[in-house]
This record gives sequence, structure tokens and C-alpha cells, in this order.
Amino acid sequence: MTAATDTPDPSDHPATGLDEVVHQRVRLGILAIAHEARRVEFGYLRIQLDLTAGNLSKHLSVLETAGLIDIEKGYEGKRGRTWITLTPAGNTALAEEIRRLKVLIARVETTTEDKCP
Amino acid sequence: MTTDSVSAGDDPRRLLSDMRILAGRVRRDQRLTWVALLVLAAATFLAIPFDWLFMTVRCEADGCMFARRGLLYYWPPALLLGYAAIAVSYVRAARAQGLGARVLPYAITGAVTAGVLTTAYVAAALYLPSHPPFGGGPSPFWWIVLDRLIAPWGLIGLALLVLARLERNVPLLLFTLGYLALVLLVLPTTEGAVPPDWALLSFMSAADTQLRLSMTTPQLITGTVLLAGGIGFSVARRRRR
Repeated sequence: MTAATDTPDPSDHPATGLDEVVHQRVRLGILAIAHEARRVEFGYLRIQLDLTAGNLSKHLSVLETAGLIDIEKGYEGKRGRTWITLTPAGNTALAEEIRRLKVLIARVETTTEDKCP
Repeated sequence: MTTDSVSAGDDPRRLLSDMRILAGRVRRDQRLTWVALLVLAAATFLAIPFDWLFMTVRCEADGCMFARRGLLYYWPPALLLGYAAIAVSYVRAARAQGLGARVLPYAITGAVTAGVLTTAYVAAALYLPSHPPFGGGPSPFWWIVLDRLIAPWGLIGLALLVLARLERNVPLLLFTLGYLALVLLVLPTTEGAVPPDWALLSFMSAADTQLRLSMTTPQLITGTVLLAGGIGFSVARRRRR
């Protein structure tokens, strides 16, 4: 005989399904900017996210390896420019991350309300 | 933003809020509202001589009849070229900042407004002379508002509303609502506004000249409002920087 329990299944928790590649403050910022801008240049990202070039490159490399962004290098005159575009997989991953964050917020709010007298 | 990984204790609200802030910054950096308003103001001012030159006026004892052919010749290409110029400006400015730009909506807006204007004016020119609305009697207010809405100045307002929605631009939305209230409810853009006697010089005394002048005044006001808006948005952008 098994006893019924109210303990939720840990695999149901929204934090469990969070993608480690996307669920990172800087990488989320990169995806959010690239999504809004359609196409964004390396320098703009560096300024907005307040990162060193090396640090930003590492994050971009992680996202590119995961297939979430495309990186296109070119020249404008003599100046090298690197453009970042979100891939369809990147769009999906961003939407999924936002959905999971909203579920987490809703879950936290529900738990808080339950605990309040 | 920091380079730290998100820890289990990180607040998802904060993450979402950061993302919204970044997306908002991108939208703000992509905007070139002042250019759009200045282009539309220039188009409005340039329309005045066309309207004046191509307006046919026939005056008889019981009044004057007029046809504003210049609107049809000028505005459809002007709207297409205007929105194309706006789209190109947006692309260039965004690219200079290191961003992409959504320009398809501007091109579509230009094409749709030009199409609506041409269709409405051709249909009116073909149908209304043989079927005067409301038996040739006075038109109700809703008809007048509709007439003003499909006139070029009303369509500019509608296009600006679309722009404000696409850019999620609240200041532009407020400006556009004010502009639409002016051109739809206050300014007689399609009926003309007779200037006061003191503003008329002796060579303007002919009936047909006065009719042309009455059509010019609302266009001057509309162009000035768009110009003022363009200057205002440009100043606000410079101050923000």
C-alpha cells in the first residue's frame, strides 16, 4: 500500500527545465538584444552589456556552438565589423526561457501567498 | 549586467526586467521619429503648389465648383517616396549604431496609404458626380470626418499610429492622437478655411484665388504641426544623448 503525498515531483519544477546555455545573465542579454534588433554589431553588445571584448567573445562562442546565434564577420571600409543574428533555434530558446521565468515567478508568488496568514 | 552565472537564488523578475530594459534600449536606439515627421512635413509643404496649380475652379452665380486634381497627381508618389526615404534613413541610422532595423512595415505603410488614397480619389471622381451623397444636401459630421480621414493628411496620421505601435513609442502615439484630433475634428482640410479679410491682399480678391487660399491654410497648419513635431523629437533625442 502506498500513501498519497502532496509533495510535488521535482521534475515538474520550472527551474529543472532551464537551459544552462541560455539561463545566464549575459547570454540572456545577448539573445534579448539580438531578438529585438534582428541583427546587432559586436561593439553595440559590448557597450550595452558592459563587457570586455574577450568576455563577450567567450559568451558569443558558447551561443554559436549551441546553434543559437550566427556570427558574420565583414568589413566596412577598412574597419572590421562582426554582426550577430539570432537563429530560429535561438528565437525558440529565448521564448522558452522567458516562458519558464514567468512560470517561476508565478510559482514563487503562489508559494508566498500560501505562506501568508 | 554582470558576467556571473545565474545562481539558483537569482530573481527571475530581475532577469526579465533586465531583458525588458535592454530590448527597450534597442527600440529607442532604432527610432528615428524626427526624420519621419520632417519627411512628412516636407511632403505636406511641397503638396501646396501642386494643389494650387492643378486645382480646377469653376465659379458661377450660385457659387464655385472645384476639383483638386493635384492631390491625386502628387500624393500617391509622394507617400511612396516619403516612406521609402524614411525606411532608408532608419536602416542607415540603425546600421551606424550597430543595429538592424525593421523597415518592411514602413514600405508596406507607404504602399497601403498610397493605394487607399488613389482608390478613394478615383472612386469618388467616378461615382460622386452622378450620385451626390445625401442628395446633394449638407453632409453629416461622420461623413466629413471620413472624408478627412482618407485625405492625405488623415492617412499620414493613420500611418503615424501604425509607426507608434510598431516602435512601442508612447510620445509618438500621444503626438499622433493630437495630430489626428486636429486634422479630423478641427481643421477643414478637405473643405477649406477662408482666411480673414485682413489677411487678404487686393490681388487675392478673385473668388477662385480665395478658394485656393482656403485650401492652402489647413495644409500650412498641418505641415507646421508635423515640422514642429519633428523638431521636438529631434531636440528630445539630442538631450537624451
